[in-house]
Amino acid sequence: MGGRNAQVAEVRAQAGAAVAEGPAPGTVFRRRLRPGQVARELWGARELVRALAERDLRARYKQAVLGFAWAVLTPLALCAIFTLVFHRAVKIDTGTAPYALFAYVGLIVWQFFSNTMNQGALSLANNLSLLNKVYCPREVFPLATMLVATVDMLIGIGVLGVLFLAFWTVPAATAAWALPLLLIQFTFTYGVALVLSIAVVYLRDVRHLLPIITQMGVFATPVAYPLSQIPQRLQEIYVAFNPLGAVIEGYRRALLYGDAPDARLTLIAAASSLVYVVGGYLLFKKLETGIADVA
Amino acid sequence: MSRELPDGTIRTEHVWKRFKADQQRMLLRDKVEAVSRRLRGLRGEDWRWALRDINLHIEPGEAVGLIGSNGSGKSTLLKMLTRVMYPYAGDIDVRGRIGALIEIRAGIHPDLTGRENIYLFGALLGLKRREVAGRFDDIVEFARLNDAIDRQVKFYSSGMQMRLGFAVAAYLEPHVLLVDEVLAVGDAVFQQRCLDRMREVLDQGTTLVFVSHDLPAVESICTRGIWLDRGTVRVDAGIRDAMAGYRDSIEAQSEAGARTGEPLQLLKHEVRGVGRDSLLTDEPMVVDLFLGGDYRGDATLHLGVSEGTASPIFQISHEIRLDGADRKVTCTIPRLPLPRGRYTLWAGVYSIGRTDGGTLMSWHSAGQFDVFGPMLDTPPRAVVLAAPVFVPHHWGD
Repeated sequence: MGGRNAQVAEVRAQAGAAVAEGPAPGTVFRRRLRPGQVARELWGARELVRALAERDLRARYKQAVLGFAWAVLTPLALCAIFTLVFHRAVKIDTGTAPYALFAYVGLIVWQFFSNTMNQGALSLANNLSLLNKVYCPREVFPLATMLVATVDMLIGIGVLGVLFLAFWTVPAATAAWALPLLLIQFTFTYGVALVLSIAVVYLRDVRHLLPIITQMGVFATPVAYPLSQIPQRLQEIYVAFNPLGAVIEGYRRALLYGDAPDARLTLIAAASSLVYVVGGYLLFKKLETGIADVA
Repeated sequence: MSRELPDGTIRTEHVWKRFKADQQRMLLRDKVEAVSRRLRGLRGEDWRWALRDINLHIEPGEAVGLIGSNGSGKSTLLKMLTRVMYPYAGDIDVRGRIGALIEIRAGIHPDLTGRENIYLFGALLGLKRREVAGRFDDIVEFARLNDAIDRQVKFYSSGMQMRLGFAVAAYLEPHVLLVDEVLAVGDAVFQQRCLDRMREVLDQGTTLVFVSHDLPAVESICTRGIWLDRGTVRVDAGIRDAMAGYRDSIEAQSEAGARTGEPLQLLKHEVRGVGRDSLLTDEPMVVDLFLGGDYRGDATLHLGVSEGTASPIFQISHEIRLDGADRKVTCTIPRLPLPRGRYTLWAGVYSIGRTDGGTLMSWHSAGQFDVFGPMLDTPPRAVVLAAPVFVPHHWGD
């Protein structure tokens, strides 16, 4: 009874193996990405994003005596150095706003970007053994590191409030413009984190690029100086490559000078950050299918 | 593919999977080199097929054992069912919630407490915080953590860490449960718990795919067996048939490396019944062994029966005196305690009176024999299926 079935199955399997040397043409697996399904899956993973961010925050809080104080100390230290170098030595003109405030606004944005980029780039590589066993939408790992950076940024914003008090200034009424700028900032940062995180999985030595990007980026971005330092005719191209330039400039106008952000530059930055995130996401999703093969 | 497949169904259609033949480093400069080689017209990478043309149709509620030697593609197939890995060609469709009973110590964060890690695992496996909270006590009980739950995990023993990682997975309530080599980890008590938990989950109608080299464990839980051999499905049948085929092939491989140069050789052996050639359950069995060799002296002859290579059933021994000539030894078992099936006969001879227990003929499988008789009744799934011993008995009221 059962024995004959086994023989039949065996004969069939051997016949199959003898015929086919490779898969039939046209059957190569392609994962179809349906936007609705992707969005649903990501929404279903929101608790995971929270749990991963919570893990990092709790772990950091337990490890370091100063805990969250590091989130404040780094930008403050940089702010002090910038004040010495750019304000005293190079004499950057920041108009009516105190230089320390001016630089700190830029540093909050930069710190958020560099935290997300550095941690996010390693977020997959550090969890490879896990990714080899558990299924979940992989984009949650860089997303969780961005959430951690957001918590740091909120602390930084609290310190910004203290700085405003110290300088006897109040944020201008145009501060509401900060919200759309924040959206651009998140979109661009996430796009970069997506690309780097998947790149590090396939090319481990990309991680050595991170310190270089971080160190050059802080000077290549208008953190210590205003965007106007870049020649007028190049600004649009610059912002298309680095939307953070327009974002930081926009924050300063809205918070410190009482102006609306430059509409043209902001729109370019918004469009560019969309390209970053969509392109990054598609690349991520394409390469994601091979993570377990190289892990 | 139709949308009407019920939860718990697994379908794979012409699935192929390949890997790079050579172990590669994941470095940018290697890639640059590979690209430049390709530009110069040299051959690119070599690929090796890990799975070839896998077609499986598993219905909801089936308990399937995946067996095969190392490198036959079992874990690769399981990874693709988990959606951790993707096929090169073909289609895979697994319906419903997939739970993988895996050890996820990899995800443990040493600075967090056991409690915090449990919630993290729950989230990784797709459980809502509420759901983990609802099962929290069961999970802690299963992992035997009790009061250690609020301690940091770095102070746990490795066994505790392993159980913690495992317990969360055990309390998923999936439509499809995938299990890979769980029994390789943990002590005997914990292994038993895992098997019990699997049976419990099966009773709720869950589909099971079980990968293990512990053949009796597979046999005790699964009803259908799929034997993978070098990336293809060799046999897909009832668990006993698949198991028998796999065991035969292990047998053939281990016999290939036969021993020579020992003082004694097993020239021939015969296994028969009394008055008939075939063997019947609970009837007499006679084994004739023909030993050749020039050894003189006292020795102990050991005779054993196993199911496949893995699980010995019984072993008996007898003292014999050898006088340098060929020798026939006969052993009679009046009532054979083996149910219907195929078994392996083992033999070995060791000298007496020497402290080193000199090996005259090392313990080896001599061959196989079939026992005919009534099939064992198939018990419900929650009861062990593999019962390699027939016990004479009668029932009263």
